[in-house]
Amino acid sequence: MKAHLTKRDLIEYQFKLAEDARLRHIAEHLDGCASCRDELRRLRDKFSALDLLREDVTASEELMSQVVAQAGARAAPRVTAFRRPAWFRAVAAVLVLGLALLFAAQFGQEPMPRRALVEELPAPPAEPQPSSDKMLPRARVEKETAPLRPKRTLPMARAEEEAFAKLRETRARVSPAEEISEQPPFAPASAIELVTLPRRDKVQLTIYNSADLTLVRERRNLTLKRGWNWLQFMWANTLIDPTSLSLEPLEQGDKIDIEQLVFPARLRELGRWLIRSEVSGQVPFEITYLTSGLSWRAFYMGMLGQDETTMRLQGYVRVANSSGEDYENAQTRLIVGKVHLLDQIAELAKRQYPYGKPIPMGVGRYAGYGYGGYGGMAGRDAQAWYGRLDAQTVTAGLGRKEIRKEGLSEYFLYTIEGTETVPDQWGKRLLSLEAEDISVKSLYKYDEERWGGRTIRFLSFANDDEHELGETPLPDGAVRIYARANSAGLLSYVGGTDIKYIPVNEEVELNLGPARLVTVEPKLMDFGTDNYRFDGKGNVAGWDEIRTWKIEVTNTRTLPIEIEITRGFGTAYWTLQTDAPYEKYDATHARFQTQLQPRSKQALDYTVTTYHGVREQVLSEE
Amino acid sequence: MDSTDESLFAAHRRGETEAFGELVRRYGDSVLGYLMRMTHNREQAEDCFQETFRRVHEKAHTFRGRRFKSWLFSIATNVAIDGLRKRRRARVVSLNQPMDCPNDEGQEYAAVAVAQNSCDPVQEAIRLEQKQQVRRAGGSLPAQQQATLVLAYYEQLTYREVAEVLGCSIGAVKTQMYRALRTLEKQLPDIGEGAA
Repeated sequence: MKAHLTKRDLIEYQFKLAEDARLRHIAEHLDGCASCRDELRRLRDKFSALDLLREDVTASEELMSQVVAQAGARAAPRVTAFRRPAWFRAVAAVLVLGLALLFAAQFGQEPMPRRALVEELPAPPAEPQPSSDKMLPRARVEKETAPLRPKRTLPMARAEEEAFAKLRETRARVSPAEEISEQPPFAPASAIELVTLPRRDKVQLTIYNSADLTLVRERRNLTLKRGWNWLQFMWANTLIDPTSLSLEPLEQGDKIDIEQLVFPARLRELGRWLIRSEVSGQVPFEITYLTSGLSWRAFYMGMLGQDETTMRLQGYVRVANSSGEDYENAQTRLIVGKVHLLDQIAELAKRQYPYGKPIPMGVGRYAGYGYGGYGGMAGRDAQAWYGRLDAQTVTAGLGRKEIRKEGLSEYFLYTIEGTETVPDQWGKRLLSLEAEDISVKSLYKYDEERWGGRTIRFLSFANDDEHELGETPLPDGAVRIYARANSAGLLSYVGGTDIKYIPVNEEVELNLGPARLVTVEPKLMDFGTDNYRFDGKGNVAGWDEIRTWKIEVTNTRTLPIEIEITRGFGTAYWTLQTDAPYEKYDATHARFQTQLQPRSKQALDYTVTTYHGVREQVLSEE
Repeated sequence: MDSTDESLFAAHRRGETEAFGELVRRYGDSVLGYLMRMTHNREQAEDCFQETFRRVHEKAHTFRGRRFKSWLFSIATNVAIDGLRKRRRARVVSLNQPMDCPNDEGQEYAAVAVAQNSCDPVQEAIRLEQKQQVRRAGGSLPAQQQATLVLAYYEQLTYREVAEVLGCSIGAVKTQMYRALRTLEKQLPDIGEGAA
């Protein structure tokens, strides 16, 4: 029994699209096949719907008169023959010949045609072929598939070949089934037409430390159908700024248009992208947006060596997420530097309508809000998470990550090696730097005017090569310094402080707070006045004040120390007599610097004479 | 007037305004019908109609040795496709149309009201709905396929004439026609026997 006619045969027969011989063959088959005749009748009935539009259209007399009048208003076109002289043809012929020769010289000596290069590659795995009635024009198919083949002659490595095959499989193919409607749909006909976002393949977070701002770049594979696609994106219970949403195809960009992002009325906290696609299948997209609620903070731990001349420094960043969104396997980048923001992202995110809801002025309880009004949702305390997340800091399973650092103009970018999962309401600590045996200098300082009667301990080092640092600036953060309490390795807390941003090659001085084991006790041993001067009326016009001080310094530590004692005299006119070394720190201060052995005391004696009134001139005369 | 199209057009080129008027009257209905089926909008079709004959008038000197009808429809096709492209870029809704009827569907719905007085208003409403479906199906075709279908099916041009109008081969016309029909076959409403 002969096979029945295909739909293609029937359409070609009905509309005389095939060759005569083929049409005759189909007619013969129809004569003997009732089933095919029924199918043809069904098709005819179907296409008879076209006749619904076969109504007569009449051009109105007015329209036609208008056209004729317009034509009459214009001068009738004059047809003038352009008589070309004989030399014109000769010049044209020479030009054409010259261009042809130039073209041949340029492209005629290609060492190997591109096709040959492609053919030397191992054949890619067979692709499912579209059915014959869905075949694309040949040129178009080649255009689609050609870029998938690397243009080289070397045999591909097996892994590369597999990756290549996988790429071919996943890459969207042009679906020739139907042409795309010219008119974009106003809205999805039903929820079934909506594509909701699939899981992320990749996500990159760029967290700006100075502002509550994170740039999120997600890569997701969307499955598109050929034609119009709706993609729904919801940000309910997150701090995503919907006005910053952006969607871009990473492949097939010339065949996919992102037409618009709409925020449907009455549907809160969701947006829909309208995508026109000429391909069907999976296409990787990048979605970018700004969100609030992600932040990072640097902190450092220093461990002093036994002699306190070296220190091991570890820098960490703690990334915290209270954005309402989980970020799995995110590549995290941290930005140091100030960012100027026009709006607070958190405020934008909390709006129920991205661009504000148009509310008629003066209506009910919304009176006065107007366009873009927002009903006053209470702001969340952006800092609150710090304390909350301390207990939740995730360290389990944390591999040692390298943080790559790059300068970005006035910003500095730290990229954490690999990827990290940062769930909502969680924090994560990552190691950012580690330096062993940084040479450090401990210095005790005593300055009554600044710290009262307490001795303050400082630890200083430089952010440079010499100190095993200097690769990057050190971002703001808290520093905690520990020391080994004994040979068993027990640690004791020495002190801590917050540091400001430290550029490369700058010195760092950490204020570790009061030192209990080093004390300074100044004692005034003697006081007197001298050299009074009187004016013409007998009034005192000038005098000297002489003070003798004894400063006792006690070091009860088991390590030698260096101490700097700053003394102020309340005037710029002073002289000092002492055996102890000192320097004039500024106009009104002198600074003594000395070293003490372990568990020792030292006394510094000095006599200071201050000059007052006309006696001040004594110093200038000297 | 029994003159051929070509002789009338030659007279127009010589400056005889009556000849141009005769050509407009001879092809007015079919060109407007063609443009109506291409644009699905009366106002736009009339704009295209004027633009078509303006080009015919102004480009008269470029007409050489073709059939006038093919040349006229090729100009109309270009005008219609240009119009469709512009319309795609910036959707225009006429202020004269009722709300919720972005195209000239308003006219159709107005016709339903008229049909209330006809013998079977329900059937009339169904017929209008089916017409809308057919119009939407035709409008969803790419411009080239749409032009091929309208010229070959509604304007009854032969495939050779359609090829002349569109400036392509007969094979290409048949291919376009087949693709258009395959698409329509899935989208056209089932109207049943005798419904047309």
